[in-house]
Amino acid sequence: MLDFLRLPQLLLLLCFGLAYTHVYAEPVAEFFGRQGSSHTNNWAVLVCASRYWFNYRHMSNALGMYRTVKRLGIPDSNIILMLADDAACNPRNKFPGCVYANSGRHLDLYGDNIEVDYRGNEVTVENFLRVLTGRVEPSVPRSKRLLTDDSSNVFIFMTGHGGNEFLKFQDNEEISAFDIADAIAQMWEKKRYHELFFMIDTCQANTMYSKFYSPNVLATGSSVIHENSYSYENDYDLGVAVIDSYTHYILEFMEGINKTSQTTMEDLFNYYDPEKIHSHPGVRSDLFGRPLRDALVTDFFGGVAQAEILPPLHNPRTSPISPEDVTSVLEASPLRAEENASGVLTSPGTLDPQAFLAALGDISQSEVGGTSARKLRTWASSLGVLVLVGWVASRRK
Amino acid sequence: MAHVDPAQLCFEHVRTRRYIIASYWLVVILAIPLWWKTTSIERLALPASRVHAASRREILFPVTVNLETKDGTDAAAAAQGVKFWLEMDRAVGLASAVDISVTTGNKSSAAYNVVLGRGDREPAVEGRQLYFDMLPEDDQLSWDVSMGRLANTLSKLLMPYSTYAASHLQAQRVMTYSPRYRLAFTLLNEDAASGNAALAWDVRGAIQTHFVPLLDKLSVLHNFTIESQVQFHAPLAFETQPIQHEDSEAHGLTHEDLTVFVNSAEWTLSSSASNDPVMHFVLFIPSAKNSPLHILDHEGSVHPSNAFLLPQWGGIVLLNPTHPPSSTLNPLPRLSAADLDPVFNTFAYQLLTLLGVPGLPRDVQPVRGPAGTSQEPFTEWELDALLRRRAVENVRGSSETLESIVRLVNQIEGMPVGPDVKDDVQDALEALNEVHEASRFSPIAALKSSARALTLSSRAFFNPGMLALLYFPAEHNYAVYTPLFASVAAPLVGAVLREIAAWRRARRAAREQANAPAQQTIAEPARGQ
Repeated sequence: MLDFLRLPQLLLLLCFGLAYTHVYAEPVAEFFGRQGSSHTNNWAVLVCASRYWFNYRHMSNALGMYRTVKRLGIPDSNIILMLADDAACNPRNKFPGCVYANSGRHLDLYGDNIEVDYRGNEVTVENFLRVLTGRVEPSVPRSKRLLTDDSSNVFIFMTGHGGNEFLKFQDNEEISAFDIADAIAQMWEKKRYHELFFMIDTCQANTMYSKFYSPNVLATGSSVIHENSYSYENDYDLGVAVIDSYTHYILEFMEGINKTSQTTMEDLFNYYDPEKIHSHPGVRSDLFGRPLRDALVTDFFGGVAQAEILPPLHNPRTSPISPEDVTSVLEASPLRAEENASGVLTSPGTLDPQAFLAALGDISQSEVGGTSARKLRTWASSLGVLVLVGWVASRRK
Repeated sequence: MAHVDPAQLCFEHVRTRRYIIASYWLVVILAIPLWWKTTSIERLALPASRVHAASRREILFPVTVNLETKDGTDAAAAAQGVKFWLEMDRAVGLASAVDISVTTGNKSSAAYNVVLGRGDREPAVEGRQLYFDMLPEDDQLSWDVSMGRLANTLSKLLMPYSTYAASHLQAQRVMTYSPRYRLAFTLLNEDAASGNAALAWDVRGAIQTHFVPLLDKLSVLHNFTIESQVQFHAPLAFETQPIQHEDSEAHGLTHEDLTVFVNSAEWTLSSSASNDPVMHFVLFIPSAKNSPLHILDHEGSVHPSNAFLLPQWGGIVLLNPTHPPSSTLNPLPRLSAADLDPVFNTFAYQLLTLLGVPGLPRDVQPVRGPAGTSQEPFTEWELDALLRRRAVENVRGSSETLESIVRLVNQIEGMPVGPDVKDDVQDALEALNEVHEASRFSPIAALKSSARALTLSSRAFFNPGMLALLYFPAEHNYAVYTPLFASVAAPLVGAVLREIAAWRRARRAAREQANAPAQQTIAEPARGQ
């Protein structure tokens, strides 16, 4: 009865309330509509898994990426650089203290302002996995930790010698695609990233991200299965190759990017030219939640681009900012029509895309063949052992 | 030399040979437990069902609000009215984690008190008390409107986060909870050599006046460590926009410039002494070349504000010294407490924003003291709301972490679970229980327990011993074990088989020998037939 009497007033107030929330919601919707990624900090893990002088080019790959992310605004405290670091001060280095990525030696990548976090023998599979999962000893200093949270975008770059589903660490041990996939899954479970971009330059690199299963991961690699990644050029004064082809072209693309650039990941992937790179780079975006044309390159390579201007304080005691006070500033990412993100982007170029896709499909094919072949091998080896036992037993009868 | 019959050698005695072979097998069999122990990983059972139960349990804070009237208005009826509107809020899903009950007449036992009056003054808060004026008219409609407004004010005060339309924006700005924070204050001169600079600042005094009361009040939530520094050369990584402002040359920062203002490659803004999250507070003094420096709005004209906030990072204030570059006070030897007052006010305000202090609703004012300023940096209502919100956040974070540990241990078979992990998980569950217990009487106790639950569950997750074994496919196992075990197994198994064959041969021979004379005797009569 009471409720019945109140109904008209109730409706009146509800309308008022709705109008009120509408006023509230509009700038907010505008705020989020313009927003590409809602991360608040960027981190990078750059790994050069090789050592020794003749792997000079892997060190310059990692250092090139280091210079790029640093230039685009990721502070040293947010970069974990894992480097054998035996090139700059190698006795065979004709230019001591320098690492160059081109034969003209225009730019010293080593420079005077560099922070290598894991050096020499510290670059191990175990340390790499500990960095990603955060399972480090309590005594490990801040600079060696990946202190990310659920609003961090993480960029992982790996380079070295690898093969089908593995990457060699310093000729000593290997990390498999399964290990990285599991480490990323653990990062996701502990909310250690908002979005993650994985890039790898090694032989058969695309196999390394084939096992990923965690959401919000974008991955790219330099070459398909059964395909080598090649170096870009030699320096005859140094006597070694100075950089790998794939990384060279990525860095070349990054030259044109600045901190406020609106270039998207799609532009980066479209820049891949298998003809020039001499291998077929791949992209895996099926786990990634956004269309590639909305993901900015600076979402992963740059510092964060958000700032809020505070209203001027006339009165020392004002309540902290409420949403409508804030003039929000964001890198405006123009909204574009949503595109169905396909799992595999074919690279442009004159090479036959069919062959490229067939090569990619080869992964699953060899898997299917792999299981039966594996079983066959198991039985054959068991049989071999039995034959051996039988032979020993029957000898000297 | 005489030829020795091999069968006559002492170690070629059948019995000795069998002992030797048996001893080999004995070693193998005794070694199996050792091999098993050293190659298997310790995986203790985790209390999975308790973890799942804990994650399903929602935390609820019962809150009692007492209504008190001064002018003889029916408090019970008012309580009834407010309850009705709060129920409405609950029905449309606005209420969360707080269970508000409204009482009358027992001021002492209720957590909050509302003093109802008549008039048209704005609502005001003091301590845990709210002064609320109902509309002076005495008809049913204005009564209902007053009750609606009171309920609305109450829910905004008690649950400021769930009623914000932009709680996501808020969530993005606020630092994630940590029991410890480091505050890094930096006086950053773009180029002290250019003349426009401050060489020192009275940071100790400014912190004492503006931050210590705040931090004292927040100390139930966090521990703070403070560090400060002065830098004399901190170049910007971009060019400022030349503008005309009040008929003179000036420089402007566009919105885009603000986003890249921090030149992280060249500025060192905090020490990396600990693993605590850092909040940066930067007072930036532009060089002579770039001053005066202003923030520009969307239209390109000068924004009245000189401060901006980087979400989850900290705040920046621009300071343009007022005296001309030619003055003897340039560079300024020291920024006095008076100079720093507005700056540190802004810093304090930025700190509250970054820590998620909700602020009062727009229409509610704190009760002003005689000097016109409020006694406290922020009200008890805000503090309690913040405590409840952080407790809810921590409980959620902690139970999600526990669940993910259980899930990962099930999913990744090579992941060891040691006794310390198990203990931490159990302690975290205990702490979660304590949160639910404590939420009934004290938000502070609830927060303390929730922080402990969060710390323990994170420690369990990040336990260095939990690093999974590397992926080792079956082929690798064969590849490792076959070269060793096949070559060892061949002679071992072969020797046993040969020995068994020899033993059976010997037994048959013995039986035949035993049977042979009998056969002869049987055979003879047959021959005679």
